[in-house]
Amino acid sequence: MRLNEIPVDGVPYDRLKIDQIPASPAYAPRDPELVPAAGRTLVINPDRICMPIGAMWAVLGVHRAIPFVQGAQGCTTYARYTFSRIFKEPATIATASFHEDAAVFGGRRNLIEGLRNLVVRYWPEVIGIATTCSSEIMGDDLVSFVKEARVKIGEEIGAEKMDRIAMVIINTPSFAGSHVDGYDRASKAFIETLATGRDNPDRRVNIIPGLLYPGDIREIRHLLEEMEIEATVLFDISDTLDAPLAPPQEIPYYPPGGTTLQEIRGMGNALATFALQPAAGASGARSLERRLGVPAVVGPTPVGVDATDALLQNLSRITGREIPSSLKIERGRLIDAMADTFHHTMMKRVAIFGDPDTVTGVARFVCELGMTPVAVTPGTRTKTFEQEMDGIFAGYRELFLDAPRVFNGGDLFEFEEYLKTLPRLDLIIGNSKGIDISRELEVPLVRVGFPIYDRFGYQKRPIVGYRGAELLLYEIVNAILDFRYPDDRTQQL
Amino acid sequence: MAFPIEALPALPARRGHLVIKTRGTPAIPECGSATIPGLLSERSCVFYGARWMLAAIPDVIHLVHGPAGCAYYGSTVRRTSYRVYSSMLEERDIVFGGSARLYAAILAAVRREPTAKAVLVYATCAAGLIGEDLDTMCRNASEATGLQVVPVNSPGFRGCSQAAGHDLAAEVLLRHFIGVGSEQSMIPNSVNILGEFDVQGDLQQIEALLQQLGLRIICAFSGRAPTAAMAGAHRARLNIVHCRRTGESLAEGMQERFGTPHLKASFFGLEETAATLRAIGRFFGTDEAVVEEVVETGCSEARRLAEPFLKRLRGKRAALFFGASRMGSMGKAFRDLGMNLIMVGSQFGCRVDYEDADRKVVEGTVIIDDAPEQELEIFLHQRHPDLLCGGTKEKYMAHKMGVPFLVFPQEGSPFAGFRGFVNLAREAAGLVSAPVWRLARSEGDLPDAPGSFFALSGKEKDNNER
Repeated sequence: MRLNEIPVDGVPYDRLKIDQIPASPAYAPRDPELVPAAGRTLVINPDRICMPIGAMWAVLGVHRAIPFVQGAQGCTTYARYTFSRIFKEPATIATASFHEDAAVFGGRRNLIEGLRNLVVRYWPEVIGIATTCSSEIMGDDLVSFVKEARVKIGEEIGAEKMDRIAMVIINTPSFAGSHVDGYDRASKAFIETLATGRDNPDRRVNIIPGLLYPGDIREIRHLLEEMEIEATVLFDISDTLDAPLAPPQEIPYYPPGGTTLQEIRGMGNALATFALQPAAGASGARSLERRLGVPAVVGPTPVGVDATDALLQNLSRITGREIPSSLKIERGRLIDAMADTFHHTMMKRVAIFGDPDTVTGVARFVCELGMTPVAVTPGTRTKTFEQEMDGIFAGYRELFLDAPRVFNGGDLFEFEEYLKTLPRLDLIIGNSKGIDISRELEVPLVRVGFPIYDRFGYQKRPIVGYRGAELLLYEIVNAILDFRYPDDRTQQL
Repeated sequence: MAFPIEALPALPARRGHLVIKTRGTPAIPECGSATIPGLLSERSCVFYGARWMLAAIPDVIHLVHGPAGCAYYGSTVRRTSYRVYSSMLEERDIVFGGSARLYAAILAAVRREPTAKAVLVYATCAAGLIGEDLDTMCRNASEATGLQVVPVNSPGFRGCSQAAGHDLAAEVLLRHFIGVGSEQSMIPNSVNILGEFDVQGDLQQIEALLQQLGLRIICAFSGRAPTAAMAGAHRARLNIVHCRRTGESLAEGMQERFGTPHLKASFFGLEETAATLRAIGRFFGTDEAVVEEVVETGCSEARRLAEPFLKRLRGKRAALFFGASRMGSMGKAFRDLGMNLIMVGSQFGCRVDYEDADRKVVEGTVIIDDAPEQELEIFLHQRHPDLLCGGTKEKYMAHKMGVPFLVFPQEGSPFAGFRGFVNLAREAAGLVSAPVWRLARSEGDLPDAPGSFFALSGKEKDNNER
């Protein structure tokens, strides 16, 4: 019954729920050749960006660091727009400004001149140089260009000042992977360039969060604090991309916080490196393990009970610190919330899309809530996604109402077309790109992941940890409730 | 006080790009030059410019021949998301060439959208560098599908800013879409609007005013530009160029090919709207009384509704930093608001744009070309305008400096025409008087507190002493 068909008098309450109409009754299936993404040359509505922005994200998490993009102006400007729209913060990213002459002669002049200008105007401590498809196709020899630049700039400003500025080259050709891979490569590049020694082993751990938001990183820090563990968070955007508004400001503007150069240099001394998102950061962790023997603990992304338990147990095992009662209480509160809301989350069908580790994390959590994930798709294809999903679903298959459909690296068009064939769908969890699908199917969207640009505050709301899971749970259940009950009747729950 | 751009560390290349208007002589900065690398210029690439012009065309397939990023980024234009197709070039395509993939992608796209009237294939940096023969592929695909398949040669590096993208997009429209319809006769009392993207309903405001003069709009480029309208655009009696940068090359092309005259106009601000309506009225021989009636009613109504907001804006200081031509067209609107313009600037304006801006500003105004981020920061810090207007990227930086910001193209309501002026006044007044700015400053914090450019910490200070 639709809202405007509900008679006013004498209708028992249980008849007043709005029926979920089939997703799209008049839907005519598309030409099947056009829909499955595997083997299809045409991509429609891709849910991923190219590599350089992942590297820029990483560099923006370093203290007084500025990314320098060796490419045309669009690579930088578009990325700055993206950061501004998501974080509502300024993003200081420099460009080598390739014009026609660079395409012909190569980007050497642009790099050397650009680095020099950046240094004398901004005095950064770290410059992360990200390449683009242009520079990679042209075969710019960045190693030798940067060496030359350092000599030239050193002549101008003095060797001592030049030595204090670290430059890290990150190879991010846009055609060889997605933004997730860009971040991953940045983690490896930074660690290999800067974390060179293990001269002073200590009891710290390294955390490489991956493409998690400031809210998530703060939640991880909270967990570490409760366990009294000191950590270096590599690429800590929790302050740099969430700075307070408190004029007057220093010029040039540098946001507060970020991982310091000193901290990065000391990463070789840690007890272990935790890469929270396997697709974004594992390379760095494994590189450190290979070169300096610092054990790498890769994943899972700590969304939901099991995954957060795993993280805390690993932390406890490696550092020898106990899991404190305060965190057990947080866990208990989450379990309590899950029990209280279970009646509304159970047997709900949910579709999930986004970055691969966000999708695995959220999928794991919604299974814990008794929901059935009917379709999952990561925008970026990874080798292990299907296995990981199999592993997650293994314990829950008897509870599933339908068998989940697992895509791997498809686009949103394919996802949307599949959702339209489903007889019933209760919820979509994903980023802002899903709003059109959500409106068309009349299914609520819970915004999680990258990028969220059409609302405010999602970058501050954690999804990791026990508290993050609780907040996500409330959003999920309230979205379901908003759509399920007519909005002119109050409902006691 | 002279804006201390010379105090910025050793970059003589930037010197001519800032001028201060003095009485009598025109103040035209150095402009139209290549971007200086590494400075954080606000400019974007040629592909961006091409998408700016073409994205809003509704009934064609927009296919980006390049890696994932360009399609993703290019799908959002003026904050609106458009469906974009991509051939998603990957490593092996870079090595072995992507032409076969492009051909297959075009065919698949046409099958996916059988009602499309044409296909626009955008080349990106990658496609340009690997030497993709876009013309041949497009021709082959056109033969195979029976549809027009038009290459847009827009690799990002093909110019020093978006401007080159605007121009090549205009050329694409002129060559393939404008005036291809079979009907040749001129429609009396009809116009096209060039350089009008119908942001937040601007076009409706303009249309309503023109209708009062008995005129109708055939096509707006590209805010209302379905292929059918473009095909008949040559039948218009007059082209109205609303934005010089994005409209003039179209206008000149149409004049050359079809003899359509054009008129530079602006519908922003009361004075400009009135002048534009009068000029259009004169061109069409509309009864002067009718035109004056429209102008009078519009102006008086707008002034009445805007008055409570104009009170809050009177004497406040505004700085504008736009793409190119808006400096001039919006500059007047801000004067109508009663605000003082202390700075106008643009990312990629050319001489004509700065001459236009120069005519609209008074002595003492700073005129700056291709201002990189830091120069804007310093300006904000030194002069602390009451309102800065520009694009999204500058917004959050301005907020951190404690300066209210109005985003262009606008986010909330139409700004064109008489009613649009009221909206502009309301939004500007709202932003300027937001309580948060008072709350942001605690007691004792004055503009010259630590953080002032001339009170830098030790490291930067001795590096700047030369």
